[in-house]
Amino acid sequence: MSLISAKSVYLRYENTSVVEDLSFSVEAGDYLCIVGENGSGKSTLVKSILGLKETASGHLHMGDGLTCKQIGYLPQQQAAQRDFPASVWEVVLSGCLAGKNGNIFYTKKQKALAKENMEKLDILHLKNKCYRELSGGQQQRALLARALCATGKMILLDEPVTGLDPVVTAELYALIKKINRQFGITVIMVSHDLYAATNNATHILHLKKSGSFFGTTEEYLESDVYKSFSGGDVL
Amino acid sequence: MIDTLEILFSQQFLIRALVVGVLISLCCALLGVSLVLKRFSMIGDGLSHVGFGAMAIAAAAGVAPLYFALPIVIIAAFLLLRMSENGKIKGDAAIALISTGALAVGVMVTSMTTGMNVDIYNYMFGSILTMSDSDVVISSVLSVVVIALFGIFYNEIFAVTFDESFAKATGTKTSVYNMLISALTAVTIVIGMKMMGALLISSLIIFPTVTSMRLCKSFKSVVLTGSCVSVICFLGGLLISIKYEAPTGASVVCVNIFFLAVFSLLKAVYAMNKSVLFKRFIAAIICTVSFAAFFAVMLTGESSVYKKEKTTVVATTFAQYDFARQIAGDRSEVIMLLAPGEESHTFEPTPEDIMRIQQCDVFVYGGGESDKWADNILKTVPESVNIIKMLGVVELYKTDHEHEGDGHSHGETEYDEHVWTSPVNAVKIVKAISEAIIEADRDNAEFYKENTANFTAELYELDSEFQKLLSENGGKSIIVGDRFPFRYFAERYSLSYYAAFPGCSAQAEVNPKTIADLIEKAKAENITTVFKVDLSKGSVAKTIAEAAGAKVETLYSCHVIADEDYKNGEGYISLMRHNLNVLSECFK
Repeated sequence: MSLISAKSVYLRYENTSVVEDLSFSVEAGDYLCIVGENGSGKSTLVKSILGLKETASGHLHMGDGLTCKQIGYLPQQQAAQRDFPASVWEVVLSGCLAGKNGNIFYTKKQKALAKENMEKLDILHLKNKCYRELSGGQQQRALLARALCATGKMILLDEPVTGLDPVVTAELYALIKKINRQFGITVIMVSHDLYAATNNATHILHLKKSGSFFGTTEEYLESDVYKSFSGGDVL
Repeated sequence: MIDTLEILFSQQFLIRALVVGVLISLCCALLGVSLVLKRFSMIGDGLSHVGFGAMAIAAAAGVAPLYFALPIVIIAAFLLLRMSENGKIKGDAAIALISTGALAVGVMVTSMTTGMNVDIYNYMFGSILTMSDSDVVISSVLSVVVIALFGIFYNEIFAVTFDESFAKATGTKTSVYNMLISALTAVTIVIGMKMMGALLISSLIIFPTVTSMRLCKSFKSVVLTGSCVSVICFLGGLLISIKYEAPTGASVVCVNIFFLAVFSLLKAVYAMNKSVLFKRFIAAIICTVSFAAFFAVMLTGESSVYKKEKTTVVATTFAQYDFARQIAGDRSEVIMLLAPGEESHTFEPTPEDIMRIQQCDVFVYGGGESDKWADNILKTVPESVNIIKMLGVVELYKTDHEHEGDGHSHGETEYDEHVWTSPVNAVKIVKAISEAIIEADRDNAEFYKENTANFTAELYELDSEFQKLLSENGGKSIIVGDRFPFRYFAERYSLSYYAAFPGCSAQAEVNPKTIADLIEKAKAENITTVFKVDLSKGSVAKTIAEAAGAKVETLYSCHVIADEDYKNGEGYISLMRHNLNVLSECFK
């Protein structure tokens, strides 16, 4: 059964229809990249997947025991976070908040989970460092660890490489791939970077107001949508 | 320092201030972390203005300010949050709109009713020393609730503050916690206003967090350090205010500024490109020097422990001070609480003032609007203090509103408190003070009796001279381009008058129509002199005088005395004789 399946979904942004008749599905273990021009409805779709926004019509169906609260989300960075005095440990641990279930404190199990995820992403040595003193790549790793704390199934990344230099960007993509292949976590990533998307993802969702493309990366590379969008050889 | 601490713990009113102050400082520091980090610092400031507006309305409507302001400010907090979130109006503009709007409404309401009264001034500048019992209880309970809720939802508040979109996506009800934060902020501001004043309360929220953010690297350490800094600054401010007779709120903020400076300096040191050892060395020096300076401020200088030596009369303002000193001569001590030149309506007693009142034998005060602050203190004075309330000694008139140009009327009863402006009332007050002093110091009874008889004779002579002047000039009226604190005087001698403001309200603005009416009257009745009241700038009087081709003269109310007059040894009799002269000049 699919983790997410959408059939004929319509999305709106402030009373304007942005995406019409969208269908796609995400299976466990997939690596889906969502691409599209600015204003094509990527953020709106992200919000709908996270359950923060209703679809105009149609339904995003969650299956296989997944609920939208169990998606580990990595939002775009905000200016306020840049000088926020928080230790890496505090940031990662806050990913466990949803599982706290009304307890005042985090449980031992949750703390162990946070530690484990930091180890996986190789940031355990930064545990007591101040978040604002980390490099951009380290910050994203910390946020990824937090996202993993919130989920065992799926992470959703919203343009995770914005503002990073090419070397760090490549490292981060490798890390996301590792999370997908090695840890078996389903990945959905919103990206501007068509090259990285087609190199890493198993599936591509190219959003357009109508006639969005959904398929495997191989199919996408052959499609007209890709060809006109990449500015490459147009028919 | 020891003696200052001794004072602190020996006085019930100071212990209360201490408890409430520490609790409120804690609340402010805790919420400050969230507000500063969420870029909502100005919401605190905006809410304090809303609080002021609400207090003004409550005072006008005669409702308990705290119960009225609390829900209003909470609603305003939700509104501000909504507006910032929706982004329909930009956050900072929304705050400016609401805060200045509330301020304007507050000022409107006060000016439509009784003018700025003491309650409002208290909320503007704070007065932690004169909190009533119920204020103390409510503030303590609310602070404990705020601190407890912050503790319980600490992790949620962190998540919402650090990254709202992530928290929301993982199922945290961010809007609930945002509402919680704003409700707690609103509560803290309302109870903190009583202590720090509307103008300064937001500094208590912002300073500790910004200070601790200089050095702290985790959220937890910011919260803990901020709380410590906040409490230490409050204690330091309180001690300084006891020692140097400074207002508490401003002292606390000054200590906060000092701490921010020290922390910023330390941060700069740690950012230097030098060896760790060197940096630690410099940091140690900075800490030592700053703390030495901090304690030097507490330890050195004259300690202001007040111990009375002989029979003592404490008078709040000038008229009763002068009466008491005429009677007491050099045999007992007479203290005036308001320094010469100090505005009576904005007076806030220092800890030493309160100790003087508690230890004196006779306390003389007006009992009207401008010394309402005394009511709370008088609840705590021992029975050995003989309290004379001047409004209780004489026959009262209500504050006069009919002679005012625009002539609006109000339901609330308010008595004119300048009872001594009639020499006949002065005689009654002198008699009461004299009896009280004699009771406290029987050994010198004969001396006091003789002084009282002489002074009373002078008052009667003054009275007959006024009577003569005003009966000869019956039917003439005077124009006072100022507030009019002479109601009792005017009644005594059937003097008719036109004044720009009723009573003694220290309103900042005058109604333009009133000025126009007064100018018309001055012209129509060929008036050559427009009066102003002592210690007023007289700008309204000057405006009227210029337009009507008249001159400006001063009438002395003897309420508070100018510094210069005080040094020249002026008294009630000499100042009233000045009034006699300018009035007779005016009637010529």
